[in-house]
Amino acid sequence: MYETFEHTADLGLLVEAADLNSLFAEAGRGLLSILVEDVDAVLPRHEVTIEVSGTERDYLLFDWLSELLYRYETEQLLFSQFDVTTGPNGLTAIARGESLDAERHEPTHEVKAITYHDFVVEPTANGWQAKLIVDI
Amino acid sequence: MNNPGFSGPLERVNDCCWRIPSSYKTGMRVDGLIYASDELIEHVRSDQAAEQVANVAFLPGIQVASLAMPDIHWGYGFTIGGVCATDPNEGGVISPGGVGYDINCGVRLVRSKLFHKDVGPHIETLIEEMFRNVPCGVGRAGKYHFNHKELRQLMQEGPTWLKQRGLATDADIEHTESRGRLDGARPDFVSERALTRGMKQCGTLGSGNHFMEVQVVDEVFDEEAAEVMGLEQDMVCVMIHSGSRGLGYQVCDDALKTLRGVPEKYGIDLPDRQLACAPVASPEGEQYVGAMRAAANYAWCNRQLLMWQAREVFETVFGQSWQELGMSLIYDVAHNIAKFEEHAIDGGRKKVWVHRKGATRAFPPGHPEVPEQYRQIGQPVMIPGDMGRASWVLVGQEGSMQQTFGTTCHGAGRQMSRTKAVRNAKGRRIDQELRARGVIARSRSWKGLAEEQPDAYKDVNLVVDVVHRAGLSKKVARMRPIGVIKG
Repeated sequence: MYETFEHTADLGLLVEAADLNSLFAEAGRGLLSILVEDVDAVLPRHEVTIEVSGTERDYLLFDWLSELLYRYETEQLLFSQFDVTTGPNGLTAIARGESLDAERHEPTHEVKAITYHDFVVEPTANGWQAKLIVDI
Repeated sequence: MNNPGFSGPLERVNDCCWRIPSSYKTGMRVDGLIYASDELIEHVRSDQAAEQVANVAFLPGIQVASLAMPDIHWGYGFTIGGVCATDPNEGGVISPGGVGYDINCGVRLVRSKLFHKDVGPHIETLIEEMFRNVPCGVGRAGKYHFNHKELRQLMQEGPTWLKQRGLATDADIEHTESRGRLDGARPDFVSERALTRGMKQCGTLGSGNHFMEVQVVDEVFDEEAAEVMGLEQDMVCVMIHSGSRGLGYQVCDDALKTLRGVPEKYGIDLPDRQLACAPVASPEGEQYVGAMRAAANYAWCNRQLLMWQAREVFETVFGQSWQELGMSLIYDVAHNIAKFEEHAIDGGRKKVWVHRKGATRAFPPGHPEVPEQYRQIGQPVMIPGDMGRASWVLVGQEGSMQQTFGTTCHGAGRQMSRTKAVRNAKGRRIDQELRARGVIARSRSWKGLAEEQPDAYKDVNLVVDVVHRAGLSKKVARMRPIGVIKG
């Protein structure tokens, strides 16, 4: 589950999932929901493997989302489905998506970056939660 | 998710300024000072922006006070509208968050010899042509592509490098803050990732609050200064608001990654990770300063190329060269930047790192860094408002040197979150509402226009009133939009 929340100049993203791997996958979809109008319009036409190294959970999520932003900006690639496997030294993800099609995907925001302000990844009674603010 | 207001102390200093005493939080090294009227201070109380002013006061080496301009609003780490100066000789730090992701985001204003009566009948064609030719919005590459080697040269020299390619003139460079070139830029400190992001984006507008706007001079407040700038009632101008695009965002991102764990290493205790910083005189600090300066020079080139494309659009629509149309650059200001400047502090003179995060340099008459043409009137300052009401041209005043390290406001400041603005626009056609107000607006997305609707911003006139009364800068002319393109 993900939802955006209010922040005066920018946008917040709240993500919840039963386990850590799903949290990373949901966060990827949550980010996509800020980039384009309709997440489901991004079809799983291509598959890429993305690896991100890191030993600290919150920085790993930060770097994972930054990597997705980078691929979007430099390769115009949008991803809507993720199989993420996190480990002690980083993560490996199979990401599925397609190239930006402005007509179909209706890009809505240019996200400048993920910010560290109020960035939280924490366990909850039902699994995991992450909260972050992106710079628009 | 609820956004609690600020419940800390805000003591009135005078009718333009409010103090957060350093006793508010353990760790504040100086007071916080917020410039605002009685009306605007109510906005300040409604979110966490004032808390961020207090947090900035924790930074080592901070001088005098953690300052905020009247367009203050809640940012991440630093407040937007924030100003702080740090002294390297007192362990002063440099903080990428005090500059922001969009390094050297800024504004330039181009005049013309055309008046509203000349342009009014062609405004639809002009905006359509602008929208077609000036790359804006997500994923739109520019027509200027630079390889990594060229980008490094461009970042070293700024628009001077573009001049060799026939894309800038001496007058353009003379009328750009710092002549579009910060010395000490280290393009070699800019990562491959940043270069890749920047290759096709120089000369593109971007998205969010960035815009290119056709304006007319609505009212002149200072005849002498307006005359020096070549501004007259009803004259048509073009205002451009953009920054360093993906290259700058990546430079900031890279720096913050490098700074993970660094404040702790230097024994710096911070209330917010986004305030991450390093002593200026440290390898991490020097790395950021060199890369930031390179990104700033890139941003000046971006606005230069955007202006160049605006000139071409006018040439196409009006069938005359841009020189014949009198489209000279009045001035270009940076409003997200850190600069090493000399200021009077505690009875002496010190060189300090002035961080301006959503704040504009406003040097007074006579200052040696003001171009000769403007030295008698003070440095021109461009304040974009919103796309329905007004923008402003100001000049720097002596009060800015005495109170705010030579700084004034940078815009209207948001008062409505993006989420709320979109909710507020449901079922409405913002473009048609603007048309009814005499503004032709083109945007890549409905949502983009909804988020940037005039009501999402404070009234820029209220903001400018405060900096005028406080003596930070002086009103020269109010500009009225007649057409705008957005990402």
